[in-house]
Amino acid sequence: MPNLTINGVAVSVPEGTTILSAAKQVGIHIPHYCYHTHLSVAGNCRMCQVEVEKFPKLQTACSTVATEGMVVRTDTEAVRKAVRGALEFLLIHHPIDCPICDQAGECGLQDYYMTVGLHKSRYPLGDKIHKKKVQDAGSGIVLDAERCILCSRCVRFLEEVTGTRELQFFRRGDHSEISFFPGRPIDNHYAGNLADICPVGALTSRDFRFRCRVWFLKSAESICTGCARGCNIEAHFHEGVLYRYKPRVNDAVNRAWMCDFGRMEYRKANEARLLAPFVRENGVEKEMPWGALMPQVAQRLSDAVRTHGADTVAVIASPQLSNEELFLVRHFASDLLGTMNLAFTRRAPEDGFSDDFLIHPDKNPNSAGARLLGIPGEEAFHAVAGRISRGEIRALVIFGNVLGAFSEKGTLELLSKAPFIVQVGTNEGVVSRAAHAVLPSASFVERGGTFVNCDGRLQRFRAGFAPRGKARNTIEILVDLGNRLGAGWSFSGEESVFRALSRSEAPFRGMTYGSIGSLGREVKR
Amino acid sequence: MSFSLSEEGLAELDRLLSRYPDRAAAVLPALHLVQSEHGHVPDEAIAWVAERVGLSPAHVEGVATFYTLFERRPRGRHHLQICRNLSCSLMGAEALVAHVSAKLGIRPGETTPDGMFTLSVVECLGSCGTAPVMQVGDAYHENLTVEAVDALIDRLRAEG
Repeated sequence: MPNLTINGVAVSVPEGTTILSAAKQVGIHIPHYCYHTHLSVAGNCRMCQVEVEKFPKLQTACSTVATEGMVVRTDTEAVRKAVRGALEFLLIHHPIDCPICDQAGECGLQDYYMTVGLHKSRYPLGDKIHKKKVQDAGSGIVLDAERCILCSRCVRFLEEVTGTRELQFFRRGDHSEISFFPGRPIDNHYAGNLADICPVGALTSRDFRFRCRVWFLKSAESICTGCARGCNIEAHFHEGVLYRYKPRVNDAVNRAWMCDFGRMEYRKANEARLLAPFVRENGVEKEMPWGALMPQVAQRLSDAVRTHGADTVAVIASPQLSNEELFLVRHFASDLLGTMNLAFTRRAPEDGFSDDFLIHPDKNPNSAGARLLGIPGEEAFHAVAGRISRGEIRALVIFGNVLGAFSEKGTLELLSKAPFIVQVGTNEGVVSRAAHAVLPSASFVERGGTFVNCDGRLQRFRAGFAPRGKARNTIEILVDLGNRLGAGWSFSGEESVFRALSRSEAPFRGMTYGSIGSLGREVKR
Repeated sequence: MSFSLSEEGLAELDRLLSRYPDRAAAVLPALHLVQSEHGHVPDEAIAWVAERVGLSPAHVEGVATFYTLFERRPRGRHHLQICRNLSCSLMGAEALVAHVSAKLGIRPGETTPDGMFTLSVVECLGSCGTAPVMQVGDAYHENLTVEAVDALIDRLRAEG
């Protein structure tokens, strides 16, 4: 454990720690572009130069390992001058097109220009070398070569993380640029990360470009719902619209990355949303206020149980639901309706695309949580579906938008056999076209809760904003409906449900939202 | 867009590939081999070489464009390379470049429409004692004057 001082602050770090990381530990930010926590060290941007006592020249903090007794200064005139000079070189041929650049607001050049630069350009505008702008670099990435500062983060990402090696430095000197071989653009499922790690506006996301200035965006810590990996993410939103996902560092799950499929999951919060409760009478949809619809739904369910028996009622859950929601769903089915017909079905008929990195074949975030909470999966679902198809089910409650095990046609055929179907769901789809009562629920960014990922890690996602339209939190819908069936629940919010869940469910025993933290923890198995 | 080398070229490439512990090390000699047969390194050759040495096409393109001695586009039959480094400049290289440019109607880096001449300015050719110097193909032309260059270009054009 070498002990050193940085700007007079003493710090003790593990063997092998760089000056840059050591400084971070004591809250001293050393400027950098090429250094990235999850990539190899390149040392080419020269922004992290610091003074180290007894070293004849300034050292790059990203590549210099802290040693015993080192005396480091980041605040001397020599350092300021060197870093300002490095930035001036990086900006020599930069087009300074911030007003039309989508990176503006989260750009390393803007940030460091304000903190260490503030120089007047000494380079005649007419002498700037121009390179190709707005190039389609493939996989949803747009390349602007003249904004690039040649930090090589993208080159290293494609070499070290995806191994696909599409981008390289071409030419030399002033004419150096990052590019791809003609006809061989970026082609992998992790390309979105390139726009994240590019410290300037050279690589931007075609999907996000020009849709919202980043300074308007607010952020919520979340978990990707695209598959069972449970990549840690930030959800960025503005005025009730979700704009993008960015990966959040969690070395136990996704390191600093996420896949492009997951990245596009955000769209489901915006598109084809169910925004008002409605009933379907003789095939015609009729909007109905919650206050009028909920008593009707509760009545129909209890009537079915009373007249035909609890065996004729079924509940289909979804592994898109949180543990808190599934916990209430289970109580709702077994205790309030008293039925054994409870199962969950995944949103795809079979395992989907997967790879040996982050992409998991199960396209649901919480299949593991559902199992841990005692809700059976596909086999039980097929038994329930069998009963529905034989006309044995008089009332059916479906959580979710699709029955993954069936095609669209198959689902409609199956659901035509049930005389009363209630859906609690977020998006229009085959189930909302067949249901007799549709209760719109909050999307994954409008509610909070926990999921258990494929490796048994319990992780928390948080609400960014209130449910859109007249949609309501699923927990709220369950509590309302449950209490109409005599539950006597006083839950308010996901944390109160989790407290009950952690008291009664062995895998979660003793856990709290506090102990899950923002990086999650393993459940007991 | 299939590319290949002559039979002798392929044999030479095989020899090169077995010469290094890492096949990737053969990328430079392989590109030289391509250029010596084709006069330049065509696009198809980049992917072809990449496959043989086990690198990505982008990597090979990066190497081929880093070194100025590799030509990525076809050049003229005669490649006029005028040195513009210190000694040659002192001895009038700039005026030579301007003269040849005007005579051929092309700027440095360009090729005449008939494909006869490509003009380049290059850094030190290592012949300062005989500045100004121009390299044409593999031959040096030394102690140049405007008249000497005119005569040389006329002779090369006449030879075709």
